[in-house]
Amino acid sequence: MDQSAFSIFAAIVSSIVLEASPFLLLGSLLSAVLAVYVGDGALTRLSRRGLPAQIGMGLVAGLILPTCECGVVPVTRRLLNKGVPPGAAVSFMLAAPVVNPVCLAATWVAFQGDWRMVAWRAALVMVPAAAVAWVLGGTQRADLLRPTLAMANQSDNGCGCACGHEHEAQHDHGRHGFLRGLPEVLRLTGLEFLDMALFLIAGALAAGAFKAFLPQSWLGLVSGNLWLAVPALMLLAVLISICSEADAFVAASLSMFPRPALLAFLTLGPMLDLKLMPAFLSVFKRRPALVVITLPALTIFVLCISLGLTGVIR
Amino acid sequence: MSASTLHDGRTGWYASFRAGLPDRLDGLCLLGLGAFMAALARSRLYWNFLNPKFSHLTLTAGALLCLAALPPLLRPRPGRETPGRLARQTFLALFLALAVLAWRDAALESAPSGSGAFDPAPHADAAAAPNADVPVDLNPVVGNVPYVRLNLAELYIMVDKGRKDYPAHFALRAEVMRAPRLGEHGYVLLRRVAVVCCLADSLDLRFLTRGQAGAEVDTLKDGDWVEVYGRLEALKGADAGLPKLAPRGEGPGLAITNPKFRIQAEHVERIKGADFPYLFEFREKEPFAW
Repeated sequence: MDQSAFSIFAAIVSSIVLEASPFLLLGSLLSAVLAVYVGDGALTRLSRRGLPAQIGMGLVAGLILPTCECGVVPVTRRLLNKGVPPGAAVSFMLAAPVVNPVCLAATWVAFQGDWRMVAWRAALVMVPAAAVAWVLGGTQRADLLRPTLAMANQSDNGCGCACGHEHEAQHDHGRHGFLRGLPEVLRLTGLEFLDMALFLIAGALAAGAFKAFLPQSWLGLVSGNLWLAVPALMLLAVLISICSEADAFVAASLSMFPRPALLAFLTLGPMLDLKLMPAFLSVFKRRPALVVITLPALTIFVLCISLGLTGVIR
Repeated sequence: MSASTLHDGRTGWYASFRAGLPDRLDGLCLLGLGAFMAALARSRLYWNFLNPKFSHLTLTAGALLCLAALPPLLRPRPGRETPGRLARQTFLALFLALAVLAWRDAALESAPSGSGAFDPAPHADAAAAPNADVPVDLNPVVGNVPYVRLNLAELYIMVDKGRKDYPAHFALRAEVMRAPRLGEHGYVLLRRVAVVCCLADSLDLRFLTRGQAGAEVDTLKDGDWVEVYGRLEALKGADAGLPKLAPRGEGPGLAITNPKFRIQAEHVERIKGADFPYLFEFREKEPFAW
């Protein structure tokens, strides 16, 4: 196991990308299926409901559309382009990586059947997700989304696909039969995947550099102080960018940290990390992107410090 | 065929090819990544990157990426090469180069010492590999003492949970790590890297270990592989602060030395080394994953 730092770096970057790619691909596939087979009307009906109802549906949608943060951004972009209101789409984007059966089960296993950790994790994700959705709920789609990368040099014709071709070319956005739509699903899946893989790779490079080249010794210095432990694990969650399906096991291993700090790690990571930040900045325009990045971090910091100071969870 | 027709035909073909080139490059990126994932999933080196239980998932994703590459490769649509497209193609190509390098390093590290062989050949049973060396006897008896075989991570997890029902006498395999400041107190470290999902979330779990009469801990060298038959004892008094003297990470995993317990080695055997230095399976009751 004697490996040079660069070998470790290469192996960690590769393993992060290889681990996350199937989930990113699943998100891209889901996004493509929505684009090709689901008519816009089915989803735009959501917009006729009030903002609280939209947010509520977004928060629990992860239970029936399991996804991790690696794949949730392209799905969200697709949902928004399909006419799903921002209140529902944004709350889904931030909550679904945690509020889904796979992640909740992983948390339960990692914390040895401690339902309090599972419940607190879900609750602490829902609060900032709802807050961000409330802030962005009234935003028009045109003020929310950037054109996709592949279309950066093309006119914004309102099409949110990532196909990257000239829109003068024939390209159906309506409903297709299953077999007829299959090639289009594959094409969109691949291109959507490539769009997001750029940011996954960038995040993996940063996380790999952090793990391979920075010393681990600073962890022990901050674990005994709540005011340092919470922001330290929030920073760690952002830097190491571990998938929400796996991060509970890492958090469980950091047993020297107080539980509020572990909850900060478990709740911020799926909403904000090095692979999500550039994805947010590329999908959303500047102001909504800043809201999506800063509001969850601030909310989680305040909530976790409060939990620690009041002794609700130790 | 006249010269002008030939010229027009060539120009038309070239223009068509050039217009479809960005789409084809996207297709090549998808095909390259998909083929790499599929090949790695079938390789005996997969465990160097991810828990082998995910090999089928990687294989399926690789196959799906290859399928997704077909439409842009075979029926490219005209489009311009934008900076964004070029960036993602460049990043993916760079990642593939890095991943191939990591694969090569893993192959060289896994090769027999001194051979320098690079043999990433497909393994027929990649997913089952970590359990391939399960011993016949999970309850060996040494010196009339019955031991329970388990792996170091299983022991660590039970202790970390505060459980008291871990085996009183156990046998485990581990790599030896020597640290001068611990050696002064008669200790070595026993370590195993536990991989839950992938190398990025791996943990380098360690126990302070001390020998007793007849145990050969003092003669062990850094990097030796041993099977240790022993028991757990609480770290007390001056020894309680020793875990803090343990060296930090030298590998991919987050290094954690158990802060409360040490292994008291009753019998030590040098072994050739585990076929798979990483641990991928953790059970909390017998039969343990070993």
